[in-house]
Amino acid sequence: MTPADLIERYAELAVRIGANVQPGQEVFVYGMPEHADLVRALTRQSYRAGASYVHAIYNDQHVRRAMLEFGPDSALTYAPEWQKTLTSGMTGNALLGTTGNPEPELLADLDGERVGRAFQVEIAEIRRKQHYENTVNWCGIGAPNPGWAKQVLGEPDVERLWELVATCFRLDEDDPVAAWEAHLDRLDARGKALTDLRPDALHYRGPGTDLTVGLLPSAKWGSAGFKTAGGIRYVANMPTEEIFTTPDSRRAEGTIRSTMPLSLAGQLIRGLEFTFEDGRIVNVDAESGADIVRTQLATVENTDRLGELALVTGESRVGQTKTLYYNTLFDENATCHIAYGAGLEYAFDGEPDEGMNVSNLHVDFMVGGPELEVDALLADGTVVPLIRDEVWQLT
Amino acid sequence: MNPDSRLEKYAELVVGLGANVQPGQEVFILPNVGHRDLARALARASYKAGASYVHTLYGDSHIRKAMIELGPDEALSHSPEWLKTFFKSMDGNAMIATTGDPEPELLGDLDGERVARAIPLEIVQIRMQQIGENTVAWCGVGAPTEAWAQQVFGEPDVEKLWEKVAFCMRLDEPDPVAAWREHLARLRERGAALDALKPDAIRYRGPGTDLTVGLLPNARWFSGSGFTKAGIEYVANMPTEEVFTTPDCRRAEGTIRSTMPLALAGQIVRGLEFTLKDGRIVNVEAETGADLIRGQLATLENADRLGELALVTGDSRVGQSGTFFYDTLFDENATCHIAYGFGFPFVFDGEPPAEGLNVAQTHVDFMVGGPDLEVDVLLADGTAVPVIRNEEWQLA
Repeated sequence: MTPADLIERYAELAVRIGANVQPGQEVFVYGMPEHADLVRALTRQSYRAGASYVHAIYNDQHVRRAMLEFGPDSALTYAPEWQKTLTSGMTGNALLGTTGNPEPELLADLDGERVGRAFQVEIAEIRRKQHYENTVNWCGIGAPNPGWAKQVLGEPDVERLWELVATCFRLDEDDPVAAWEAHLDRLDARGKALTDLRPDALHYRGPGTDLTVGLLPSAKWGSAGFKTAGGIRYVANMPTEEIFTTPDSRRAEGTIRSTMPLSLAGQLIRGLEFTFEDGRIVNVDAESGADIVRTQLATVENTDRLGELALVTGESRVGQTKTLYYNTLFDENATCHIAYGAGLEYAFDGEPDEGMNVSNLHVDFMVGGPELEVDALLADGTVVPLIRDEVWQLT
Repeated sequence: MNPDSRLEKYAELVVGLGANVQPGQEVFILPNVGHRDLARALARASYKAGASYVHTLYGDSHIRKAMIELGPDEALSHSPEWLKTFFKSMDGNAMIATTGDPEPELLGDLDGERVARAIPLEIVQIRMQQIGENTVAWCGVGAPTEAWAQQVFGEPDVEKLWEKVAFCMRLDEPDPVAAWREHLARLRERGAALDALKPDAIRYRGPGTDLTVGLLPNARWFSGSGFTKAGIEYVANMPTEEVFTTPDCRRAEGTIRSTMPLALAGQIVRGLEFTLKDGRIVNVEAETGADLIRGQLATLENADRLGELALVTGDSRVGQSGTFFYDTLFDENATCHIAYGFGFPFVFDGEPPAEGLNVAQTHVDFMVGGPDLEVDVLLADGTAVPVIRNEEWQLA
């Protein structure tokens, strides 16, 4: 298979299974200039799926760097009117976003406090409302490029990265669409088993980790296979290997150590460790990049509380590629993770519980690995093992 | 000059002299996705000049191609709401656009009629109004790419193209800004000399060409730099070597032959010839791409009347570079050109005339100059005054 064919098939799966673009819908494709090949393929496939119009938007982190380095303070949080109109226009339509940073450390030498402050609150509010009302069928996917390949593989071997990404995407299956449907069914069955157990809390144990997080009675466990308010099925992340929920943001006690580097705002955070008291992060340590995290927690309200718990086991396609992708979309599907910041309104059938965290940020960090043990704690004190040796324990 | 410092100097010249970005202004950069090095340098230079915010909106011909090839009819002329907001926000601010299509023949195999229809009409209207009211300080510049170099030289020698572009942009001068100011003053004097003659018409003669075009009494000859309504001086095109005006769109008689290929909507139009009668183009011939032109003329009202006359002489830096750039921004500054489509309301003393100024939704320049072209102005009393002979300026 030539790479051009591969990109086209990859884009087709993202358009059909991922965003599930409907005839007559407008499609918004967001990528970096370095992702142009994939952005173009997504555009073609969207029109083939019957899109009425495709808006392709390139975000350039060098322009962002120019703003951070030379722009006035007011620029950092400015949300231009046209960007608000653009974002609002996605309501009722489809969205495809690409990730895979060609220069992951581009912003590393900049003032971490300024990088942490550079955030368009008004745009995030519009997106949050769209998430909450579930009005956009969307999908995030990876876009292999030389810079990303160099970070992952030590050399800019884009072809090899494409192979890995295609494996995570199940493009090696005879019928990738059928394979995806079976996979999503399996994840949904796990989510249902855990929801039916009605646990009161989760307990994580491992090296540097001993954390108990409270759960909300009305929050469900589910996969990234969703339905919009209008009834369109979509898969928000591809690949996806997780089941997840939103915890009680008022109950978290103990310590947790991240088991993988986290790529955030153009910097790499290594060796991240949090201490929790009464649901809040009260201490942040890291080998590198602690400043960015501390600034986020100090600047954006309620980022110091938890928003997501996600469980992933050893048969994950991403985990099986034994590759660290330095990219949350992939790495969060290699292993268990937790997010600080915004909770997930769609984890509830009705109105979200008041214990759900409300924030304008949501950052996933990885905590899984062979030594992590995860238990569900039931209201009557029973301890039910969920994960041991990266193997799912519930039937 | 090393390529990095050349790029930064180039961007500084464009931001400082071209768009003349003022502290506190927002800057709108419209590059092709293949021009990201220059786009980034322009963003840096804009912030350094005091921009309050830099908006960068990349265009991509492949996205356009997908729409023309695979999209529904309604998509072709659609102007998304956010894009209208984007363009309207340019009022009172600065805009920089880059040219140098990385794949100039990308749309060459598509249906010419559909390519011609693919124009976001409401966006064009917004831009026309801004140009008419002169509310945006803007500048269009070239962005060398491998594909552009391939087209120009037959090999992807982007360094050689950069050298040509830097020469056209006077970056070889010890003080490029001072050299530009002197150059702009010289062009202004040419415009003043033409205005002083109060010509009634202009006549072009050459191989395949014998065309007389009427002029409007209160239309002035413009050059290089202009001023926004708010009084900000800017240079809309860099390089620029022309003096230009908007003709009487009711008066044009004869034939005109284009002397260079024209890169238009992803196709190359070669050997273009027009016949004009009573101001209208009544016949179009071309070796390639005639359909595209005919499609435009048939679809867009008044595209078949003239909107601009521009005079360029042999001392042009673009002409002296001896390079055909396959890019209107450069090639129109190599030699004399004419545009069909809309005229410029800003060239008039006072209000534009009720009649005679062409209003259309497109404006396409094509080159007519060369060593054999003779240009005269005809005064009201019938006197013919030579303006260009042998590519040299004849007026004092």
